[in-house]
Amino acid sequence: MAQPFPYTYYACDCFDSNTGADEEERTFDPRSPRADYALYPLEHLLYCEDCLRIRCPRCTIEETLNWYCPSCLFEVPSSVVKSDGNRCTRNCFNCPVCTSPLSVHSVENPEAPSAAGGPYILACSYCHWSTAETGIEFEKHTGIHSQLSRVANGGTPIPTQKERDKERDRRCKELDDQRASRHSVRPPPEDSPAADTATGGEAVQRDERFSNLSAFYKTQTDAQTPSNLFAAHDMSFSSPSTYSRIMNLYSTTSRNKKRDKPPPMREAAAELEGLSIHDPASDAAAIERLKKDGWSSTLSPAQKLAQIDPHVQFEDELRPVATLLCTKRSKRCRSCRHILSKPESKITSTRYKIKLLALNHIPRISIRALPSPTAQQPLPLAPGPTSSQPSPFNYNNLRQGIPTNFVIHLSNPLFDPVRVTLATPSTTPGKVHSKVTILCPQFEIGANTDVWDDALSSSSSSAAPVNKGTVVDSDGAIEPGKPYDRGRNWTSVVIEVVPGFLDQSIVSSTTDQGPDGELEEDDDVVEIPIFVRLEFEADINAEERGLGDSRGSKGEKETREEAFWTVVGAGRIARV
Amino acid sequence: MSAPAPTSHSSSRDPRRTSTVPKRTSLLPRPSSIAIDPTALIAQHAQLTGTHPITIGPRAVLHPHSKIDSTGCVVMVGEGVVVFERARVGVADVEAQPALVRRSSGMSAGGRDSRARGDGVVLGRNVVVETGAVVQGAEVGEGSVVEVGAVVGRGAVVGKYCTISAASVVPPYTNLPDYTVVFSGSQKRIDKTLQQRPDILEAKMAVHKKQLDMFRQLVANNITKWTG
Repeated sequence: MAQPFPYTYYACDCFDSNTGADEEERTFDPRSPRADYALYPLEHLLYCEDCLRIRCPRCTIEETLNWYCPSCLFEVPSSVVKSDGNRCTRNCFNCPVCTSPLSVHSVENPEAPSAAGGPYILACSYCHWSTAETGIEFEKHTGIHSQLSRVANGGTPIPTQKERDKERDRRCKELDDQRASRHSVRPPPEDSPAADTATGGEAVQRDERFSNLSAFYKTQTDAQTPSNLFAAHDMSFSSPSTYSRIMNLYSTTSRNKKRDKPPPMREAAAELEGLSIHDPASDAAAIERLKKDGWSSTLSPAQKLAQIDPHVQFEDELRPVATLLCTKRSKRCRSCRHILSKPESKITSTRYKIKLLALNHIPRISIRALPSPTAQQPLPLAPGPTSSQPSPFNYNNLRQGIPTNFVIHLSNPLFDPVRVTLATPSTTPGKVHSKVTILCPQFEIGANTDVWDDALSSSSSSAAPVNKGTVVDSDGAIEPGKPYDRGRNWTSVVIEVVPGFLDQSIVSSTTDQGPDGELEEDDDVVEIPIFVRLEFEADINAEERGLGDSRGSKGEKETREEAFWTVVGAGRIARV
Repeated sequence: MSAPAPTSHSSSRDPRRTSTVPKRTSLLPRPSSIAIDPTALIAQHAQLTGTHPITIGPRAVLHPHSKIDSTGCVVMVGEGVVVFERARVGVADVEAQPALVRRSSGMSAGGRDSRARGDGVVLGRNVVVETGAVVQGAEVGEGSVVEVGAVVGRGAVVGKYCTISAASVVPPYTNLPDYTVVFSGSQKRIDKTLQQRPDILEAKMAVHKKQLDMFRQLVANNITKWTG
């Protein structure tokens, strides 16, 4: 894994818990493909106080609280998002070349200042792209989005949707007239309206084609609807269609089948109906342009895809990209719908109303090497003052077969003392079998009391034995059954790891696994699954902590139990 | 104009100084000649070191802790140039690669006679070298901006009105045409806004001029240290 050693991951069993009873007996295998989806660092986990379990991103539901623009930090109502789309409709734009935010600049002529501060352009302060390159200038410095929607690249105005609809109706009527008159006299070809609309930019054509097509399909479906017997608006009790439907139900099946097939809908056949005929001349023009301007005038795939119209090819067709909106989300537990995290709805606030982090409910487990002369042969150091400073432990260089001691450190975020039981399989799963022994599997961690409590009540709390000196006896061996060290709300224990032999594992695994025995990447990593079981006495109304006065009923306690798998990465076995 | 030798410098003592201990002279080599226009602004801690001649043009501004180093070659700072704090202009190490120098001078035939000057560093008019930037290139054209932390490699020729954006790198012995923008590390594009719109370019230069006037009001001038 990419994480530097040593690391700890917590396993959330949310999806694996219902796979069967025998799952309970099995140990967690950090090398199984499913483990990748269950292991998370503690910081990524939430904690449900109702279910009393860890909640990972897989077992939470996200709900959108509100939408906002990350550039202007303005909240956008969800109704507006539905009607106008998920982009900022104010002044926020991103550079189509390099995606950094664009800013409005005045290009006022100092000799002839205008009343409104002169024409404005959108310019990128990073890559120096600006709308002046595509021939767009704005009259006002506000409402850029609406101004931009009215002007095409090069400064030609874009007709609004209403004008476009009116124009289409006019031309449809014209066409009908032509068709009618064709029977009598051949009409003179009248292409002038078509010619002047075709001068608009690529984006305009695309918009126009879309509106033409949608209008065409609307007329087509409208024409089909009366023949559709199951139309919702036609279902009144005594309507003729209801009557005919009932007649159909009771008449012969052959007739019924015939009625089921509506006549197929006509496809768009003219430009007015949204048909676009591919013009090979445009391809030739593009190739000519490529010859003339070179590769640098074309767009990269990322730039193309960021555009509203992803079919643009050249730099002068770029449009400023309106900033995508962001959301604030709350998270709920999947099983009990309890809210686990909820940010404040105010956009500018980064605080949370509810935030149940696993950090505050689950002991933090960390592992580090216990420096020992036998574990790792130190580099030959030059004699002198430098040798007094021990070299840092190299986690990527565990020696095969040489016992290495690690310290597992558990710190308790809870306000109650916790009894901890650690369990681990005696050899790590995977192809390289390292032997693992936890020297003190059962111990207690103190409550997370006030930092000063410990200092003030000096004599009583110092009863907890500090074992640091005694853990290693005179022979250099570590005494089992005692914690290594202990503090106010933390305890550390020693775990002995004998890293497995890389070569031997190849031999042993080839005998029982066949050709699959080759060591793969990261097979030399010592990852130790540890089962953690916690037991503590908690206040009964602990979930109302912070809301009600929990101190009133302090006498009532209940025993709680929590258990989960963790995986600690101790290091990498060195090849010899 | 030419800098006095270190020995004569220490003997001509400041009358305000009370200490009899001779003022510590810089161990850095002094340039063989420093030609500074009297209208230039050189802030107190600006450094001019090296062995080759250094020329500072009129109304140029060297900010405190900016460093002009002529150890490797001649440095010419043009009119209205601004060199910001901790920016370095010039080639600091003498180790030159003659083969590459010859190649670059052959390649950039655009009126640049690099053999006559040696492998010099020339900043054109109104060039801005921002904080922490390093310019070792042979030439930076008029109105170009080398932004924060950018590097112009040795022997590179940057055209007029270019922008080397923050932390970007121009590799050694490259030739950038006018109006080039180098961004996101090494991507290049042509700034058509400035190319096509002389009014915007003019406005930009007007802002630069205002900035020069502002520095003249704000930064204490210590030009006497280098001319006197």
